[in-house]
Amino acid sequence: MLATVDSCVLAGLEARRVEVQADSANGETKFFLVGLAATSVKEARERVRSAIKNSGLDFPRKRLTVNLAPAEMRKEGSGLDLPIAIAIALAEVGKRGPARSAFLGELALDGAIRHVDGVLVAARCLKKLGFDRVFVPAADASEAALIEGLEVIPCEHLAGVFAHLVGSAQITPTPFTNVVVDETTGVLENDLAEVHGQEEARRAIEVAAAGGHHLLLSGPPGSGKTMLARCLPGILPPLELAEAFEVAQVRSLLGDLAPGRPLDWTRPFRAPHHGVSMAGLIGGGSGVAMPGEISRANHGVLFLDELAEFQAPVLQALRQPLETGRVTITRSGGTVTYPARFTLVAATNPCPCGWLGDPVRTCRCTQAVVDGYQRRLSGPLLDRIDLQVGVRRVPLTELAAEPRGEPSQVVRERVLAARARQQARQGCLNAQLKPSRLRHLAAMEAGSKRTLERWSEQKGLTARGFHRAWRVARTAADLEGTELIADRHVLEALGYRLHDVAA
Amino acid sequence: MTLPLDLNTLNARGRWPPPDGPRVAIVGSRRPSPYGEAVAEQLAADLARAGVVVVSGLALGCDAAAHRGALVGGGVTVAVMGTGVDIVYPAAHFRLAEEIIAAGGALVSQFPNGTSPRRQNFPARNVTLAALSDVVVVVEAVQGSGALITAEAALDLHKEVMAVPGSIFSPLSVGTHALIRDGAGLVQNARDVLAALGVGREVLDDPLGAPKRLGFGLPKERDGILLHLSDVLAVSTAELARKLHLPVAEVLGRLTSLELDGAVRRHGAGYVRALRNGKERA
Repeated sequence: MLATVDSCVLAGLEARRVEVQADSANGETKFFLVGLAATSVKEARERVRSAIKNSGLDFPRKRLTVNLAPAEMRKEGSGLDLPIAIAIALAEVGKRGPARSAFLGELALDGAIRHVDGVLVAARCLKKLGFDRVFVPAADASEAALIEGLEVIPCEHLAGVFAHLVGSAQITPTPFTNVVVDETTGVLENDLAEVHGQEEARRAIEVAAAGGHHLLLSGPPGSGKTMLARCLPGILPPLELAEAFEVAQVRSLLGDLAPGRPLDWTRPFRAPHHGVSMAGLIGGGSGVAMPGEISRANHGVLFLDELAEFQAPVLQALRQPLETGRVTITRSGGTVTYPARFTLVAATNPCPCGWLGDPVRTCRCTQAVVDGYQRRLSGPLLDRIDLQVGVRRVPLTELAAEPRGEPSQVVRERVLAARARQQARQGCLNAQLKPSRLRHLAAMEAGSKRTLERWSEQKGLTARGFHRAWRVARTAADLEGTELIADRHVLEALGYRLHDVAA
Repeated sequence: MTLPLDLNTLNARGRWPPPDGPRVAIVGSRRPSPYGEAVAEQLAADLARAGVVVVSGLALGCDAAAHRGALVGGGVTVAVMGTGVDIVYPAAHFRLAEEIIAAGGALVSQFPNGTSPRRQNFPARNVTLAALSDVVVVVEAVQGSGALITAEAALDLHKEVMAVPGSIFSPLSVGTHALIRDGAGLVQNARDVLAALGVGREVLDDPLGAPKRLGFGLPKERDGILLHLSDVLAVSTAELARKLHLPVAEVLGRLTSLELDGAVRRHGAGYVRALRNGKERA
């Protein structure tokens, strides 16, 4: 008998439909699995055989062939266990597979159905492919329930799913979760109120948050660079629904979602160590590339501490995503594109020992070593970082005497207002404005334009650098609530361009 | 102390020995403050104008500023190198070395051609530098600096040592202040050095007038920010904002404006007053 059941395999944030056909025919007792199955899928044979037997179902004592179609597509992952088992069990009793239903799940030997990664992505794509019903592991049902118009059957055990299909017992579907954006912020782990002094860096963080600009903090060890960076998520607005969805999908692929609470409203904060590999930061792996840290930081903050210690090729690879907000990776299994629109906060020491330019401690590095260290921060990368500020070390004895700044809550109000202005005017943040749109949306007073041109001439600014300063000036004006960019906004923006001077 | 080597055996490129006349070594930190750099340049220029041969070590910072100043002053300058004369170290000073030779000066070295930079060679070079000069002026030096080795060698060779004072807050002036405390001559201008050489009373200003300070006019005052800036130690934007009771964004903007006018420049994580010597750099 023949039975056909639908499933899918994931390729990045897309799912491709897979038809699982099971046919049992007379002949020698054998089990063939064909259709370009990768090792993890081939192993399904053993799991499926045990799971069916241990669920009290009959495993055909016949010549059994399972085909995964289309045959030219390579299939990976353990999510095909459940559809294969269901197809075999249905073929054995002579029933057809249910129409417009898809199955996804890994089997344990006792027939229990285990979690698989990427259920949210799969559910969204299956809905788009025209399916009405998905059978997913009960542990992942809350992910699939985020998709409107899709019936979600939570599967605990193979026996239960089979009973549901033959009509002997029903599983109650998990109802659609209508999500509401949670505007409240919890208790902030890092509040700007705890930062003493560092007014310039505080202001830079506020500008970065308001306009979505990338930020470089440069200063000696112990000057509070990490602390400042960790304050950034706290002054950003919560994720919007679409953003939270994108964040959840990347996490779903990586199996990183909090169980039972798939949508999270706080902005991601990722701080990979400087030893991170290319695949770890940008995304990669064998077969189909998995998302890297930059995609995990999507709609949030990517913090790279000790920027000069990262491998040069890894830093170079950041350039494309910094410009486009996306990353496209090609591996043997195909080409995938992941979202990677993050705010980069980078921190660096001014030299290997860290004390160059410190008023008290003397730097012990030779000039050649300092040059080499700063060369590692390539020009093209720095050119993409709009805000660059020096952070000074505040001696411990004076730390308590430094004035306390405003709490994050107050700064956040201003950031939100500035972001609202930008959304109303142009539908995106200033950092994402194309040069052609800048001319229309970021008009400058005649004097301020001259200032910007004078600076470009003096410091040899690239065209990209010119537009970056322009965007930052736009944000400074937005924070003030002014439509026309004045001289003071341009001057402030140029004040954040540390490396025009060092170069 | 006797010199371990015969000065007549030095390798040289350019005109060697230099024209007759007093020789003054101007040495100092490889990472001077803007103040130190400006002093080295101005002093060298004024001395060169008075016919003094300016001797230095072609290193980064004060040394390069001294050579450059001498060239600006239209004088002859000699670079005493710690490498072979065919190897310019640091390589970034290749052009400067060519200009020194073109202006009638010389690169000299006690080391054979082809000697690459080695740590242990530089102290010996510093001794030679002292031996070639009549007076050694230290502009800025942290404790243990190579410039102090030159000063010590000069004392051993019975040469005059002089030092430029600086801010008591600046680590770069710790070495020079120690020299002054121990009896080194105080340098406020080129005349002080010329007086020590015993030459040229009439060269610079009226000998009866009060000694002129090294001539830096303060840039035109615009908004009170300059008063709070130093020419030695960097002041951060945050500090300025606090002193002036202004928002940090506004102070940053005004500093950028002053930077555009060339009145201030960045130094470390803050700003310093830019010192202008009244003439453009060559």
